[in-house]
Amino acid sequence: MLTATHSPVDRAARRHTVLRGESEVSSDPRLMMTTILGSCIACCLFDPSLALGGMNHFLLPAPPEGSRDGRGEAERYGLYAMEVLINAMFKRGANRTTMRAHLYGGANLHEGMRAIGSENAQFARDFLAADRIQIVREDTGGVLARRLELQPASGRVRCRAVADRFPEARTVKPAATGNVEFF
Amino acid sequence: MNRQILAVDDSMSMRMLLRASLTAAGFDVEEAEDGRAALEWLDNNAPMLVITDINMPRLDGFGLIAELRARDRFRDIPILVLTTESSPEKKARAREAGATGWIVKPFDPEKLAAAVRRVTH
Repeated sequence: MLTATHSPVDRAARRHTVLRGESEVSSDPRLMMTTILGSCIACCLFDPSLALGGMNHFLLPAPPEGSRDGRGEAERYGLYAMEVLINAMFKRGANRTTMRAHLYGGANLHEGMRAIGSENAQFARDFLAADRIQIVREDTGGVLARRLELQPASGRVRCRAVADRFPEARTVKPAATGNVEFF
Repeated sequence: MNRQILAVDDSMSMRMLLRASLTAAGFDVEEAEDGRAALEWLDNNAPMLVITDINMPRLDGFGLIAELRARDRFRDIPILVLTTESSPEKKARAREAGATGWIVKPFDPEKLAAAVRRVTH
């Protein structure tokens, strides 16, 4: 099971910042995944039977209806980011019955504006429910940004509120997607 | 005219997205959650096209394509692979199994509809 801890996570030899639009899965015990979240969501998955974990980071649930800008930037959206993360876990042998999820982020940073953070969190909950993956911990909402760390091989997570204004991790450059190749 | 497409993906959200995109383009969409469910549905149905994910439980996309190509009824049906995978090895495997085309998620609804029209007309 993913374990949330309030004590410092063991020092890792290699740190990787999971940027907006990025997903990463690993069983490397020396790796620490980290990110900074405002209204964005990070979903952490862990399969204890494989000592395998992963994290994604997305900005919004889905492209706005009628939007055409999703073409090159779909990686920012949860619909894609969740699929990529879950598929990456499946490819490494994980399965729904043993895989557990944590959700972090989804803060509503700007009072009086649309609660994008809450919408993001609800999207992730709905997606995981539809895919029959159990959520065992959630730290979402509020008005503060969060700094998140995950040791994928142990499933240990540390999530801290960031009191000051904090820039979210930048967006990863989109990969080439959506192309059609005929055989 | 047969406008029926079978969308095979273990992600309910992705199936919903496929349904919305292809229905808007004028097609009828049926869904299956993995290769095994697809084969069961195909026992009694004959769509004009199959769109399938690769990574699925019970029977994956490669297995589904191979099973379909082994059946006389589906020897010539267009099969598009829609996946987050993009490795040349996986593409080659799909091509050898008998796939018609390969689309990397996330997809552009208009490109997908154009690809469907191209392989069914």
